Amino acid sequence: MAYLAQLGALTDELVAAVRAIPETQRQRLDLCRESTLRALRYHNFARTNQFEVEDRLNGLEERFRVTGRDALADEFRKRLDALEPFRDKWTPDVLHFILELADQPAQKSDLSN
Amino acid sequence: MPPSNDRSEKQAAAQLAVDILHEISTILNCHLDRRTLSICISMIENGVNPEALATAVKELRNEAQEVQIEAAGAGSSSTRARR
Repeated sequence: MAYLAQLGALTDELVAAVRAIPETQRQRLDLCRESTLRALRYHNFARTNQFEVEDRLNGLEERFRVTGRDALADEFRKRLDALEPFRDKWTPDVLHFILELADQPAQKSDLSN
Repeated sequence: MPPSNDRSEKQAAAQLAVDILHEISTILNCHLDRRTLSICISMIENGVNPEALATAVKELRNEAQEVQIEAAGAGSSSTRARR
C-alpha cells in the first residue's frame, strides 16, 4: 500500500512537471494521472539488460564520430566516465530510460545547450 | 564521522549524479528538465520499469500537445466570434 501511495505521489509530480494538463481541467487531469499510473504498473516490457544499455551507449558514441560530431562524442564520453564513481544498481535502468527518450541526437543535439 | 555528515555527503553525491545524468540527457536531446529527470529517477528507484516510464512520458507529452492545440483552437475561435 505504501508503495502504491508513493508511486501515486510521484506520478502526480510527473504529470505536473510535464505540464500535460492545466490544473483547471481537473477531470482530465485525474484521467491522465490514472492512465499514467496504470501504464506504469501493468506493462509487458522486459527488465533492463545492462549489457545492452552499455552497447547502445557505445554505439551512440561511435555514431557521433561517424557523423563527424567528434566534439559531441567527446562530451558524451566525458559524462559517461564522470558517472562511473556514482554508479549504483539503478544506473543502467536510468540510462535505459534516457536512451528511450533520446531524440535523434546525432542530427539534432546542440553542444551550446 | 557523525551520521548527519555522512547523509549530507551522500546527498551531495546523489545531486552530482543527477547533474551528470541531466547533462547526458541533454546531449541525447531527451527534452527533459532537471526536475522531471529527478522525479523519473525516483520512480525508477522505486521499481518502475524504465521503458514503461519513457512510454508514459511520451504519452504525457502528446497529451500536453493536444491540450495546447485545443487551447489555441479555442483562442482563435473566440477571436473570430468577437469579430
